[in-house]
Amino acid sequence: MNRRLASLDSWLGVTIFLAVWQALSALGLLDPRIIPSPIAVVAGTASHLTLAQFLGDVEASLFRVMAGFLIASVLGVVLGVASGWYPLVGDLLRAPIDLLRPIPPLAWIPAALIWFGLGEPSKVFVISLGAFFPAFTNTLAGMRKIDRDILNAARMMGLSGWRLLYRVAVPAIEPDILTGLRIAWSLSFGVLVAAELIASQSGLGNLIVRARELGQIDLVVFGILAIGITTLLTDFIIAQFFFRFRLRWYVKATTAGLAGTRER
Amino acid sequence: MQSPRVERVTEAVANAGSARPKIEILQVSKQFPAEDPARGLAVSNVSLTVGQNEFVSLLGRSGCGKTTLLNMIAGLVAPTQGQIAIDGKPVRGPGPDRGMVFQSSALFPWLTAIDNIEFGLVNRGVPKVERRRHAQDLISLVQLSGFESKYPRELSGGMQQRVAIARALALDPEILLMDEPFGALDELTRAEMQDELLAIWQKRTKTVVFVTHSISEAIFLSDRVIVMSPHPGRIREQIVIDVPRPRQRASVQFAQFYETIQRAIE
Amino acid sequence: MSDTLGTGSGPDGKAKATVAPGQGECRPSIEAERQPGWAVSRHLRQTGLPLLSVAVILAFWEGAAQLGLFDASTIPPPSRVLSTVWELQTLGFPRGSSLLTHMGSTLGRVAAGYALAAVLGIPLGMLIGRSLRASRMVLPIVTFARSVATLSLLPLAVLWFGVGEESKVFLITYGCFWVLLTNVIDGAKNVDPALIRAALMLDTSPRAMFYRVILPSALPYIFSGLRLALGLGFMVIVGVELIGTSIGLGALISQARTFYRMDLVFAGMVAIALFGLLIALGLSWLERLLLPWARESK
Ligand SMILES: Nc1ncnc2c1ncn2[C@@H]1O[C@H](COP(=O)(O)OP(=O)(O)OP(=O)(O)O)[C@@H](O)[C@H]1O
Ligand SMILES: [Mg+2]
Repeated sequence: MNRRLASLDSWLGVTIFLAVWQALSALGLLDPRIIPSPIAVVAGTASHLTLAQFLGDVEASLFRVMAGFLIASVLGVVLGVASGWYPLVGDLLRAPIDLLRPIPPLAWIPAALIWFGLGEPSKVFVISLGAFFPAFTNTLAGMRKIDRDILNAARMMGLSGWRLLYRVAVPAIEPDILTGLRIAWSLSFGVLVAAELIASQSGLGNLIVRARELGQIDLVVFGILAIGITTLLTDFIIAQFFFRFRLRWYVKATTAGLAGTRER
Repeated sequence: MQSPRVERVTEAVANAGSARPKIEILQVSKQFPAEDPARGLAVSNVSLTVGQNEFVSLLGRSGCGKTTLLNMIAGLVAPTQGQIAIDGKPVRGPGPDRGMVFQSSALFPWLTAIDNIEFGLVNRGVPKVERRRHAQDLISLVQLSGFESKYPRELSGGMQQRVAIARALALDPEILLMDEPFGALDELTRAEMQDELLAIWQKRTKTVVFVTHSISEAIFLSDRVIVMSPHPGRIREQIVIDVPRPRQRASVQFAQFYETIQRAIE
Repeated sequence: MSDTLGTGSGPDGKAKATVAPGQGECRPSIEAERQPGWAVSRHLRQTGLPLLSVAVILAFWEGAAQLGLFDASTIPPPSRVLSTVWELQTLGFPRGSSLLTHMGSTLGRVAAGYALAAVLGIPLGMLIGRSLRASRMVLPIVTFARSVATLSLLPLAVLWFGVGEESKVFLITYGCFWVLLTNVIDGAKNVDPALIRAALMLDTSPRAMFYRVILPSALPYIFSGLRLALGLGFMVIVGVELIGTSIGLGALISQARTFYRMDLVFAGMVAIALFGLLIALGLSWLERLLLPWARESK
């Protein structure tokens, strides 16, 4: 009951926001050449953009983000786990990673363009750089705060080495990994848009560039909203997928004695 | 040797005897919102009066509504039925006449021990020098000299609880509501703190409502022990401890009270 | 050496809820616990190995470049980058714009946008967070506004504010504002009710409740918001400068690219990294100063 009330409030908030926006436009308080009304955005988009074009842009963007994200998350999670588990790896990796981390991923764009040219690889490279750090840092943070009692309990049950790592330690830090991957995902989108604004022939960022060049401000607004919605929607899908997958794995891999500890 | 006085109080008011009532609780119930209304009934039709300067303990199993009852006296939780009055005036909210020590110490983590103690004094606008002196006295009272400028997370659970006691005492309330204040203390400190509490209670003439899980603590401290039972939370029995203080923790009489109360709880 | 693995955690570790995890402090790794031999030299390893790894990487990089194993113009060696930093400061690129000029201009923009976001976001977040209804109503809007890639607003910003400083400051403010707002709302919302009750029993007026209980209790969240916002602000400004200006660190590396001056690109990146590092250090110093009670241990 409470929950329904909460979502009602949420819808109310969105409705009020859109209504005020539309009303201000209708009253002429917002210059339509500068801020088109919600209805104008929808109408303008319908006339300027075909569905096929739009889907093409979405596909191009998603491909880039996915490629960069996958590379980064595999590398980030594997290196994060290794750094937490083997002190030698952790100590060796720490300094170079700490030195690179303060560089915003976008600052790699010029270098990437020189190294990889204007094509896809440079975008994927920059996106994966952006996504790597959150994936790595969160995984490592998870590894560092694993409850030692869980590990000791597992050791007392005869687990050690690799098996201890992948049957106890990794499941224990799954929530941290998920957090890291979600941050990585939304950061990937931010980087993607910048990359597409700077050098690209397709994608949602490029949609905005094209619309601006043609002076279709309604389409620019649509592009901005589309990027936001795509980010939110895909983030939601990732979280859902992860929870399902995690649950299956959880049933299969964890012994009854350790089950309770994972949810914390 | 006389046997302990046990009174059956089911519907009747648990009485304070001759003393003038300080706290009057009249047929109070508290229903929390819950799927199953029976489970949400934390306190059911409880009546109790506490006399001026009386020391009353609430005893009972976990979940029998002790904290809820205390919160209602404090004015932090409103009863769904019935009335609570202090000095004849109905309780509408927290007031300066009541101080509380919470089950979890509820110290402000961003304040040092001494600043926590001074919190209420600052609210009252007590000048700095005066409130520092007052707080220092309380620090030594709860035996925390040397830990004044430690933050709560740097103190052990027992030390935190003692800061919380000092914080409640700082405003010198007429009524002291204490929710398992010594639960986190070791046996020795606990005995010391019990002595201190009695000393404060006698010197400053306070009315105390004291929640505890420890039967012997209740016997050692109280004028009266109220035994509560859960689901729904009710008063089951009250036992008057008419033993002069200072009491001997290891006396035969003590053991008799212990047995009686244990039987009352079951 | 303090050992924070699993031991002596304070009563509430939950203030960390929205804090981006993992400022890389040195804590012993898990395996080290089991290997007494390792433990003896742990301290040595923890300071020595990172230095060693960086030194080895730099040495190999330099050596390989000197031996001509790769094209030094696309991957300039450390010595070259260093001399370029010097050249950049003395001669400037474009000529006359020294490194400090670029840094100053970037810093000015970030500072303005960040400060504006803080001035707007902190009070507003505290207000919204204290009302359950309001926070529920703004939640979807805030979540969405956060998901909008800040740089995608660039065309609109230019349309609204022109190509000058205002549009850049606006974009930084936009990026920082929503992150900060989310954290401040969380902070104002997640005040431990036990503390409110305790304060109620201590003669606390509504005004004192806000300033002496709710605000201090939200402070760790506000700080984590400030930290996240700063990182984002930096990212936004670099992106904005890449696209269309002549002064600023982002502009510097972008123009260096068009001249194929990889050494300059690297020099600019070094400056950006240093910058980010310094600001992050400054912020955590400030946090230690203002929030001594939230520190891990004594
Ligand atoms: N805010 C609340 N909402 C719903 N139910 C509550 C709430 N507070 C208490 N209850 C319920 O009321 C009953 C009594 O709780 P209360 O905390 O008063 O017990 P207690 O006697 O203090 O227990 P303990 O000895 O464990 O502290 C319990 O069943 C509890 O689940
Ligand atoms: Mg209780």
